[in-house]
Order: sequence, then C-alpha cells, then structure tokens
Amino acid sequence: MNLAIHPLIVLLFFPGGLFLLASGLVFQWADRKLVARFQNRVGPRFFQPLADVLKLLAKEEIIPQGAHRGLFIALPIIALAAALTAALYVPMFGVQPFFSFQGDLIVTIYLLSALTISLGLAGANSVDRFSLVGATRTLTQLFSYEAPFLLAMIGPALAAQTWQISKINAFVGETTWFIVAQPIGFLVALVGLMGKLELPPFDAPEAETEIVAGALTEYSGRGFALFRLSKDIELVIGLTLVAAFYLGGIANPLEFLLKTGGLLLVMALLQTAFARLRIDQTVGMWWRVGALLGLVQILAILAGIYIRQWWL
Amino acid sequence: MSIGSMIEDLIKSLFKKPVTRQYPFERQPAPERFRGKLHWDPEKCTGCQLCVKDCPANAIELIVIDKVNKRFVMRYHQDRCIYCSQCVVSCRFKCLELSDEEWEQAVTNKETLEVYYGKDEDIRFLLERAAAQPVESPCE
Amino acid sequence: MSFEPLGENRFIVPIGPQHPALKEPGHFEFVVDGEIVTGASVRLGYVHRGIEKGAEDRTWIQNLYLMERICGICSHIHATAFVQGVEKLAGVEAPPRARAIREVFAELERIHSHMLWLGVAAHEGGFDALFMYSWRDREVVMDMLEMLSGNRVHYSANLIGGVKYDLNPEMMDKIRDGLNYLEERLAHYLDVVNHDETFIGRTRGIGTMTREQAQLLGAVGPTARASNFAFDVRVDAPYAAYAEFPVEMVVAQEGDLHARFVVRILETMESIRVLRRIFDNLPESELVTRVPRRIPAGETISRVEAPRGELFYFIASSGGEKPERVKVRTPSLCNWGTVITLAVGHKLADMPMILAGIDPCFSCNDRLVMVKRNHQDPQVWTWADLRNYGIEYYR
Repeated sequence: MNLAIHPLIVLLFFPGGLFLLASGLVFQWADRKLVARFQNRVGPRFFQPLADVLKLLAKEEIIPQGAHRGLFIALPIIALAAALTAALYVPMFGVQPFFSFQGDLIVTIYLLSALTISLGLAGANSVDRFSLVGATRTLTQLFSYEAPFLLAMIGPALAAQTWQISKINAFVGETTWFIVAQPIGFLVALVGLMGKLELPPFDAPEAETEIVAGALTEYSGRGFALFRLSKDIELVIGLTLVAAFYLGGIANPLEFLLKTGGLLLVMALLQTAFARLRIDQTVGMWWRVGALLGLVQILAILAGIYIRQWWL
Repeated sequence: MSIGSMIEDLIKSLFKKPVTRQYPFERQPAPERFRGKLHWDPEKCTGCQLCVKDCPANAIELIVIDKVNKRFVMRYHQDRCIYCSQCVVSCRFKCLELSDEEWEQAVTNKETLEVYYGKDEDIRFLLERAAAQPVESPCE
Repeated sequence: MSFEPLGENRFIVPIGPQHPALKEPGHFEFVVDGEIVTGASVRLGYVHRGIEKGAEDRTWIQNLYLMERICGICSHIHATAFVQGVEKLAGVEAPPRARAIREVFAELERIHSHMLWLGVAAHEGGFDALFMYSWRDREVVMDMLEMLSGNRVHYSANLIGGVKYDLNPEMMDKIRDGLNYLEERLAHYLDVVNHDETFIGRTRGIGTMTREQAQLLGAVGPTARASNFAFDVRVDAPYAAYAEFPVEMVVAQEGDLHARFVVRILETMESIRVLRRIFDNLPESELVTRVPRRIPAGETISRVEAPRGELFYFIASSGGEKPERVKVRTPSLCNWGTVITLAVGHKLADMPMILAGIDPCFSCNDRLVMVKRNHQDPQVWTWADLRNYGIEYYR
C-alpha cells in the first residue's frame, strides 16, 4: 500500500506522531491484558495506559540533587525522538515507509539502540544507587543482546541482497516466509526484541524487587511518561520489523494487525513462563547461545546464497 | 529439567474466565459464620456487664438507667470493634449476635459509627440527659 | 544515610526502610563490589507497637485478641501459644475435640502461610506466573478458614479453655474437596520448583547453609529443616492434639533456597494428610472447659510450631486478672542472623530471594533497642554495665 500524503502530516499525525503514540499505548494495553489473561487475571481496561500517561504528564517533575539538569530533561526527549524517527523507515500499519534509502535498516537499529543508551545515561546521571545499578545493568544487557539481534536482522537482508527495509519487505512478500527458511534467526530476533524492551525474563535492569525501577528510579512526571511512551513505540516498531522480515512481509493494515498481534501473543506467553534471569545469566545466555545461533544462521544463509549462485 | 514448566497452565488460562471477583458489580454473600455488625436484644439482657468487661477494644458501653425495670441502653462503638465475637461468647443469656449480612461498613461520616441500641424512649431520655450536661469530655 | 565520599572504596546499596519487594518496614544495607555483596546489615523495629507492655494492662481474655494481632498471617498460632500457657498456669486442659480443632486451624493456617510464601518468593525471583497461580489457589484455603470462623485472617478461634467454632460433617466434606484440589496443585508446583530450568537457576546453590551454621545461628522452622537440622516442636514436644494426630517431619539435605522451597511445599502436603486423619477420627467432647478469671500465680513457658518456626511465649502471673509479664520470641527474629551471614558472597540480584527465603514476618520483629545517650560510650555496653543498669532500674 502506498499513500501520497504531505510530509508534515506524516510526521505529526499519520503514521508518525500522534497515531504512533496512540498505537504504542494500544500495544502496551494488549501486552498487559494478554499477560494478565495468561495468569488468570482480569487485566487493565483499554484506557489504562492513556490514563497513566496523562496522570504522569500532569504531575510535578522532580529533578534530584546531584543530577545534571540539562541531561535529566533532555534524555527522555532524545529517547522519544529516536523511537519516533525510527518508525519512519519501517512499514508501520502496512503503509509503505515514507522515507527510505539504501541502508535504512542500519539506521533504524541504531536509533532503537539510542533509546536504550539514553536510558542507561539517564540512570548514570544520578547519585541514586538503584539508578546506578540499573544503568550498569541496562548497558550490560545492551552489549549482550545487541549483536545477536543485529545478526538476526541481517539474515533477511542478506537473503534479499539489500539494506533497505522496504525492499526486504517486498522481497519477503514474494518468497516463502523466512520463519520457515530461517527459524533460528526468527527465534533470536523475537527473544532479542524482548531483551531490547527489558521485558521479563530479561527485566533484570528494572527488577522491581531488587532495584525498584532501575535506571528510571529518580524519574517522575513528564520524563517518566516520555520514557514509557518511547518504550511502547519501540515495542510497535520491533514487532513490525520482526513481522515484516520473518512472517512474510507486511503489505496492508490487516496483515499488520494479524501478524504483530500473533507475535505479541507469543511474546506475552514467553514473558510469563519464566523466572527472571540474573544479569550474569542473561549475558552468558546471549553470548554463549544467542550469538552462536545467530552466526550459524548467517553462515547457513551465506552458504545458501553461494550455492544458488554457483548452481545457476 | 525442562524450560517453561508452567506453559500448560498459562495456555489453559487464556481460554478460561479470570478468577478475579468483580466485587462491587457482583456481590457474593458472606459466609454463615461471618462476624459483622453487633446486634443486641434488650429483652434478654440482665445488665451483668460481662461483655463490657471482656471486650478487648472497649467497643461496648452498657448504660444502666434503671436496673430493676431493665432499662438499659447499649452504646456500641462500631469504629473500635475488632469483630472478635468474645462478647457473644461471654454473654450467658445469648442477647448478643454478630450479623452476617451487614458487612459493607465503610462510611464517610464517623458519627454514624456510634450506634445506640435499646428502647426508643430510653435512648431519647439518655440523649436529652446528655444534651442537658454539655460539659462532657470528648474522650468518653 | 550519607553519600560515601569517593575516596572511600565502598558502595552501599540501601534497601528500606520501605522494602521495595516485601512492602514492609525493615532497613538493609548491602556493601557491594560490582554485583557481589561483601557485607550486610539489618535494622529492624520500625513497627514497635509495645504489645508486651500493653499485655500487662489487659485482662487474660482481652490479651488473647491482642496476641492474635502480633502477626496477621500466623494469628491463630500466637493465640494458641498464649492460651496453652494460660491453661497450664490455671491447671486445666482443653477438651480433646477443642484441641483437635486447634490443630485443624493451625494446619490450615500453615497451608495458607506456606502458599503465600511460595507466591512471594516466586515474585522475588521474577516468576510472576507461579506467584499468581499459588495465590489463586491459596484462595481455596482462605475460603475454608472463612467458612469455619467467618474471617479470612483473624480467625479468633481460640478461647481460654477451648475453641469457639465446631466442625460439622458438611464442612468437613467441603474442606476435603478443597484439600484434594490443593494437593493436586501443590504436586504440580513441586514439579515446577524442581524442574523449571530458569527457576532452578535462581534457587539451586543460592544461600546454602550447612547444618552447623543453622545450629550456630539459631535458625528455626523450615529454614533450619532445609539444612538438615531436624527440629519441629510439633514432633519434639507435641501440643494441642499433635500427640494423637502426629505429623511427620520434613527435612532436606541441601540447605539452599531450592531445599527451602521443597521443604515448605512438602510440609504443606503433610498438613493436608494430617487434616484428613483428623477429619476421619475427630473426637467427641464439649468445646470449652471452665477456666477461672483469676489465673493462679506462677510462671510458665509455652512453645508451638508457627509456620515460620518455633514460637516461644513466657507468661508470668501474679494471681490477678491481668498477666504480670508476657514475653514473645517470634521465629522471624531467630532467622535474621542467617540472612546477614548468607548474603555475603552472593550477587545483589539474589538478595531479595535470600531475604524471602526465611519467610520474614516484619510485624514479628517488633523490638525496640534504646541506647542511653548520657552513657560514656553509647554504642557498646558491657555485661557489667547492663547488670548495673538492671539493678539501678529495679531498685
């Protein structure tokens, strides 16, 4: 699907800006509701995420002593901006990405990491011990899942022979689903996404029973709301990317809804099924298992491409 | 050794109704032995004051107007009551009872928690007497 | 707490006075080196309510309900310890049926306490599915207790000389049905605790305590039994109806967190078995014996096995309507030493689970230490100082 809309509208309303924010809240609600139903609970009502954000925005923002004032205010904005920008290169809601160039896959992944890095910086920009421990864990986790996740994203790119998300999306739509062709890559991508979003069982950086809220302990009001919103948007983007690459591409809004919804269901199940991993267990798992699996997958793809070229 | 031993429960739950009781919308009756608001039957009472003596929270006051004609008024401080039912056990004439129907007792006005039991004329007499003596310590 | 200057090479993570995970008042300080804990300290007594002093000002009957309110989760066992002490002083014994019903309440309470703990400990380890499910199933035993006594938490089933509530056959049938369901679920949770890879990664080999350490640190209850320290008041010094309906002691060898999970779940299943035996042969008798309002002068101790371990009461009477002195030693207080010792050398991420591993009850840590300022060294008191202070005080 390709729409011709004025770029300003794209940025502010659809599919960027407001619409993206709203979809982030909807996905957060769906995630919470699914987790609740898996645990035999009722779960929140549909307006709860919006109510949370509005409440936080209306609250006083306290800037703690010992924190750099400028950074403290700027970091949530950078995080949200990074998440919103990343959405422009991804086929959100089944609409063709509005800005697209050779290599935008790398830019998108970079922008998503920028969010995590600003989260880590926000924790380090504080004298609070919980924030410091949380920041250390956030950055440690970043270094552990990032490489396998990147490898899992590169797999489809190699197969499609392009670094452009829209072209990969189109290529995937014409061949067999990559979940069949590259099952290991799919698994690593999905679990890597959970690590990226700090969802259980990879929620050691914000484990509430150990370090309260991790890096965001000192945040209140607006800053906290913006960080949460950017996480929600990251969730939508991540799901879209994985669905586009591995589940046969996203060509229209219906496919988008079905495929991301299905992925979210699996992710909610994985969130509830395990005990939280300690940070050393997380790192060990990613480097010992995740990175190796990712490499094996890449090697398999390269071999496949080579054999096909040789064959033809 | 297995990974995700609870997945079976989780998937089953997805197709089940949540167990959460939607309390204010669906009310379930309290059990038969529930200990709710205290009720007093003035006809059987002899004014022995055992319930007053045994109450661990000092929630009961028995005001004797005329012991011979059995004119008593019970002042029950519902906000102090811990619903232990010791008074029900202590009473030898079975004139006290904890209700199993009145259990939604949250109020916004504290004064409604001071309950008077007894004959109407006795309560009126008592309240008039109290009004005539305005100098009464607030702690009483 | 002041911020440590950079020159000093210590990084202290304070947890509390409001614990983020247990939502209870207790203050912990962990000295960490990276993620490894190198030192730990605990400060308690934020909820001092003066219950022991308050007991001296209430009659024996009123005290029954005050003791019940020391702890919400083990309310029945506190009252049982108190009434048994009072009955011993008065020289009476509760009728057999009353004693059996006391055991019924105590074992139901143990089931509810252990299932609550299972959920809390799983939550500390970030295993929220187990937390939600064990608490969902705990509602079954809460409903039983509500049916028996009318209340979910403060059952107030005890009276001095007996119990208030009788059991009838319909109730016993309902409870049997509930117990069957619970036994099935508990077997499943035992399977999860024993076999789930992620959960075992958080429990096996964490907080290992040897039998010698357990003995040295004065650990009690399931915490000690998980370290192969076989000590259970129900078996060693039977009270209530435990002589007629004995329980089997559950002991594990490993001494780590995993062993504590296994011991508590198996203990719950043992409680279910003993409840079935009681229901099959419940003795017939009246429910209360008469006990005088004035308790003869004397001193006694009373020991019972609370869900968390040995609960100890010392009661002194001077022959009046009120006790002279009531001293309570709760099981949680005995177990704190193990937490502080075991914490060292583990990762910060393990702290909540080690802490929860002893099933701490913060309201039971209701203690106050008063340090007199005008003494020459306010922190350290020698034995001679204390002795002089005592002599001066009572002069």
